[in-house]
Amino acid sequence: MALRVAYLPMRADAQALKGHLDTLLLASLETGPRHGYAVREALRQRGGARFDLPTGTIYPALRRLEAAGLVKGTWAEPDGQRRRRIYELTPAGRRRLAGDRVAWRDFASVVTAILEPAP
Amino acid sequence: MTSPLITGYVTGLHQKLPAAIADEAADGLAEAYQHHLAAGAGDQQAARAALAEFGDLATVVGEFTRQAPGRRAARLLLATGPVAGCCWAAALISSRPWNWPVPDAARVTFGAVLLLAVLALLVAATARRSYQRTRLAMLASPVIIALDASAVACVLAAAPTLSEALVIAMAFSLIRIAFTTRTLRRLAAR
Repeated sequence: MALRVAYLPMRADAQALKGHLDTLLLASLETGPRHGYAVREALRQRGGARFDLPTGTIYPALRRLEAAGLVKGTWAEPDGQRRRRIYELTPAGRRRLAGDRVAWRDFASVVTAILEPAP
Repeated sequence: MTSPLITGYVTGLHQKLPAAIADEAADGLAEAYQHHLAAGAGDQQAARAALAEFGDLATVVGEFTRQAPGRRAARLLLATGPVAGCCWAAALISSRPWNWPVPDAARVTFGAVLLLAVLALLVAATARRSYQRTRLAMLASPVIIALDASAVACVLAAAPTLSEALVIAMAFSLIRIAFTTRTLRRLAAR
């Protein structure tokens, strides 16, 4: 009896991006502090429509990064506006982002070298 | 100005999540709603678009629950429990604690409280959609501290000699006490 194996195509959709959510969130905070919705907008602007995770799932991820000491959250209450939580990278978060960036470039260069047709 | 749809969702957030977390999520939802209004959508249309991109309430609450510090603390305590149990079992068997002057009622109470604390940790550690369940870790963790401390105190008071195995078991319990105390401080700060 022939063994049937399901073929799983490589995906570049929201679920695949979710696997790298922590690194993407750290990258979105690299240029400065942001609140949760601004983080989501930064990801959408840089990732286009492909980044389509429910906004509500970004907040728990930011809390997880905060518990891990990679970001720091503080409440801000501008005059006459809603209070909101602002996140910024910690030194540990910057180190993690730098490490993740190097690891991703290595990984991407290896996969690209293998996938691209030989000349 | 806000929509009844948004208000209903925010009420749900406050019913199922701690106030600080619900406030933060509600701010994000309000921001999305204002964003769609500013883009020219009508009230209902903006509210529906904001809710659609935010995610349904069960998904969002479930995600917060899975990341809850109480759930993680309960899982860590449960994971270290068997190691603590093995250390104490090895230490006590070699020390013949049944000969120690500890009342039977104290032994039974210790066992019953330990069982209840482990059950509470199990409930907290397996929570998927109820943030409230993860808060059981706040109740069970001090009990684990008290049990570890009473085991150490009992050994110091009743054991005629301190074997190497007893010292290892006590050291493990003291490390767990330090770790659990730190975790409780973090939980209380949220």
